[in-house]
Amino acid sequence: MFLNIMFLLAAGATIGGSFLTATSKNLMHACIYLLLTLFGVSGLYATLGADFLAATQLVVYAGGVVILMLFAIMLTGGVREFVNKFGIDKVASMGTVKTYSIAGFMVVIMSFVIMKILAPIFKSYAPGELPGFSTTVEKIGTLLITDHVLAFEISSILLLGALVGAAVISRPGRTR
Amino acid sequence: MNSTVVSYLSQAPGYGFLTSKLSEVLGFDATGIVNFLIFFIVTLVMVNIMAAIGGLGTYAERKISADLQMRQGPNRVGPFGILQFLADGVKMILKEDIIPRQADKFMFHLAPFLCLVGVFMTLAVLPFSSGLALTNLNIGVFYLLGVSSLVGVGIFLGGYSSNSKWSMLGGMRGASQIVSYEVPVTLTILSVVLMAGSLSFDVITEAQGGFPHEWFILHNPFTFIGFFVLFIGALAETNRAPFDLPEAESELVSGYHTEYSGMRFGFFALAEYIEVFVVCGVCAALFLGGYKVPFNLGTGDFLVKAFPAIEPMLAKQVGNFLQLGAFVTKTLALYYVVIWIRWTLPRLRVDHLMVLCWKYLTPIALFNLVGCAVWLYAFEGKSIWYLIFKSGAAAAGAHH
Repeated sequence: MFLNIMFLLAAGATIGGSFLTATSKNLMHACIYLLLTLFGVSGLYATLGADFLAATQLVVYAGGVVILMLFAIMLTGGVREFVNKFGIDKVASMGTVKTYSIAGFMVVIMSFVIMKILAPIFKSYAPGELPGFSTTVEKIGTLLITDHVLAFEISSILLLGALVGAAVISRPGRTR
Repeated sequence: MNSTVVSYLSQAPGYGFLTSKLSEVLGFDATGIVNFLIFFIVTLVMVNIMAAIGGLGTYAERKISADLQMRQGPNRVGPFGILQFLADGVKMILKEDIIPRQADKFMFHLAPFLCLVGVFMTLAVLPFSSGLALTNLNIGVFYLLGVSSLVGVGIFLGGYSSNSKWSMLGGMRGASQIVSYEVPVTLTILSVVLMAGSLSFDVITEAQGGFPHEWFILHNPFTFIGFFVLFIGALAETNRAPFDLPEAESELVSGYHTEYSGMRFGFFALAEYIEVFVVCGVCAALFLGGYKVPFNLGTGDFLVKAFPAIEPMLAKQVGNFLQLGAFVTKTLALYYVVIWIRWTLPRLRVDHLMVLCWKYLTPIALFNLVGCAVWLYAFEGKSIWYLIFKSGAAAAGAHH
């Protein structure tokens, strides 16, 4: 009962936040709504028994990514009125014939994949029981350094590459 | 151990009585309702007490600064001026709520609440005693790091939405400072997590003892350094002097809350003082033994032994009050040090702040983390006092 209410609240926050993110005209406001969405997703994780994932979602997205996004928007001056001199909403041209045809192709492929995934759910829908709540920290830790150690190491190399790249780019140019 | 405050209070005889009575009256199992009510009441009490502590923090700040500067401080309202914070609160509420015309209204309204919500969310896992922790998540430390980052968003938004250059600079400084100092703080907390083997505050506290030599701060040389890294990082994360660059009053008027007035400003101030209490509590729980009382007085077993007729729950309550006293004493001692530092040290420069974080604290924290791991591996998690005692006993000719 209580978990159901929390799940519905989290789902509502996710859906409402993402809708507002997409429709908001002000980039800064969109970023705040994105924060709401990410909190909602974290709530979904928490109600589905993935406690560690929920906290990671908060630490990574609320703490790091949203603040970096806000910084980027502020420093690039992203908040502008998208209204032209006649007072009509400006709609940027979304692409060319090439991009539209590629996007249409991708939509067809993605819809096939999604239908393939959803088909068994619609055929025989039986509400499954969630397993009893248990801590996931130990399991995730054990899996990360046993079965998935390759992915773990490769992602750390990716981060190292990003770090070195940032250092190279932001380094003041040497005068010859 | 008790996973929530409800599971602690459910051991009391009144709980079963209340539940069965309510079930009879309502006609269905009332356990959920009673649990919800207990949570609601305890949370309400906790939030109000913490708000009062935040208010008293401003009083303590003024009184201690007056003491350090040989002044009197507030001494008119109430005995020793202790009701000054209530007078201030009334003043804040009655003030006109001014919003700059060019401000972004939505974010201007949102920013103080984000700060306050982020701080109050951290209270859910703060271990006041073995019974009085709202909930004992097994990812408690991680959760605390996650939700406290909302404060950074609030400070940034407050600075940005005011549409004033001082606020903007303050907000930028605040956000960059909080994001940067999260790195050494998290690495240091990680070393403690490594020692205790859990992310839960309860397990970390129970891994320590009541006496100073059983605390993690004196466990080995690496944790001793780690405590100071954590404390410095916590000062920077709460924007306290010498890291109060976001509200540097000599250059930025008042930083990110320059344009705020009335209770909105009050919320920022309240959030800051409560956050200082929370991070001091975290430092105490991680390194200074948290709620542990010497001789295991905190469990209440001594009362049961001395007076066998006593109700076991009553003995536990007494033990919990001792634990609460130990935790609050350690936290307030750290609180005093925070205020003391604020009125002693001059403010850092922005580039010095970043140099301190990235060139000193982060490498030291990394070194500590590796050092703790090596210590755990080499000495099987024994503290330095144990090793000294053992070698001393061996030198004296003891066999083992």
